[in-house]
Amino acid sequence: MTPESKPLLTLDGVCVAYRHQEVVHDVSLDVAAGEVVALIGPSGAGKSSLLRAINFLEPPSKGRILLEGVEVGGSRRTLDALRRDVGMVFQSFNLFPHLTALQNVMLAPEHTLGLPREQARERAMRQLTHVGLAERADAKPGKCSGGQQQRIAIARALAMEPKVMLFDEPTSALDPELGAEVLATMRTLAGEGMTMVVVTHEMHFAEDVADRVVFMADGHVVEENSAGKLMRDPQHPRTQRFLNAVRGR
Amino acid sequence: MSTLNEWQDYLPDYLDGLKVTLRLTGVSLAGGLPLGLLLALAMTARRRTVRWPAILLVEIGRGAPALVVLYFVYYGLPQLDLTWSSFVCAAIALGFTTAAYTADIFRAGINSIPVGHREACQALGLSHGQELRLVVLPQAIRVVIPPLIGFCILLYQGTSLAFAVSVPELLSRAYSQASITYQFTSTLVLAGLVYAAISLSAVALMRARWPGRTASVTDVEPPGEGLARTTEVTHAP
Repeated sequence: MTPESKPLLTLDGVCVAYRHQEVVHDVSLDVAAGEVVALIGPSGAGKSSLLRAINFLEPPSKGRILLEGVEVGGSRRTLDALRRDVGMVFQSFNLFPHLTALQNVMLAPEHTLGLPREQARERAMRQLTHVGLAERADAKPGKCSGGQQQRIAIARALAMEPKVMLFDEPTSALDPELGAEVLATMRTLAGEGMTMVVVTHEMHFAEDVADRVVFMADGHVVEENSAGKLMRDPQHPRTQRFLNAVRGR
Repeated sequence: MSTLNEWQDYLPDYLDGLKVTLRLTGVSLAGGLPLGLLLALAMTARRRTVRWPAILLVEIGRGAPALVVLYFVYYGLPQLDLTWSSFVCAAIALGFTTAAYTADIFRAGINSIPVGHREACQALGLSHGQELRLVVLPQAIRVVIPPLIGFCILLYQGTSLAFAVSVPELLSRAYSQASITYQFTSTLVLAGLVYAAISLSAVALMRARWPGRTASVTDVEPPGEGLARTTEVTHAP
């Protein structure tokens, strides 16, 4: 991030707690426009909780989330704005099985943004084409492969034309081959300048695509650095241990 | 042979009774199903002040025998200056029972929708109402249709309780015939056959439409009930 640019997304001292048990402790992070940040770390490190706190699926128990300098969460209006500007892709896709791919993608443009149906349909079709699935527009998710379902889910989030995309282990539910097609789609997005925060266990993706990698363990940010530096030359013993274990497989 | 001849004599009267039975079933469902859905929505609401009264009402409806509810409406409410015809009383009582039982079926259907779908709706900025209308209910309805049909069949047979407040439905026709001829066995068997003809055709229709789904009248627990219970526990305030 260049010093003069204002961060698009700011996490300031964010804590996340489930029933009084804190799982994310005091995380602060700036994400610049166009930046791709990978969150890595062992299971239970609080990566997904942190990601879910960013769009208030799990409202932070402490700390602030700022989008373009505006604090979120004080009012319904800022929350609505956040949900419009931040897209989310889930590990389990969460497509709506009773709707076709196209209907899944046009749902939010039509009902959240209130676009006329034709316009919503056009926009949805554009995004399906973008992820290479125009020919699956009329298929129900159940008839699509896991990789296709996740790409439809990406198109669904993109159809809101968000400023930031959050990915919560988008390939964890997929076999490596299907995961690869999802990663290719995400690579394309990153190449187009989309701002992305990605929780992932795909170390190659973190190293090749992310600008910055944040390593978390036990609810803390242990280390963060540019992708190349953190992945090749981790400073903290905990990071070294994790990366050795992952690469040793 | 004589039984068949008797039955031939009974049948026109029985069919009149069947019309009343079917009308009572229809009216109870027309009132009870929408109310059941409303109660289910209230039971799954976030606010306790909405949730608790609905749960109380449903537990009363499921806990009290339908006959007790019926007597309450027919004999109890007139003491509060609320008096209706026996048919209306039966429809109110059975409609209330229907609402209570189907509320629980609807609730289980609503809770069977994965939490992730609701989170996806929130992440897409849909309002709570849009989430229900566009994503949760369309899926839940599909889940609950088989158990709802099971309940409708139970209710159809349950309308025979209205005999107790002298609604001229099918069972009451059988009973009046029997009180004239003293042929209790043949009159009641014929009544049973007429009930069964409708119930079993409904089951057969349902089996043809949803193969592999149980339509047994005792099976009103929808699939996903187990899941529903677990999600409920994890999301309890």
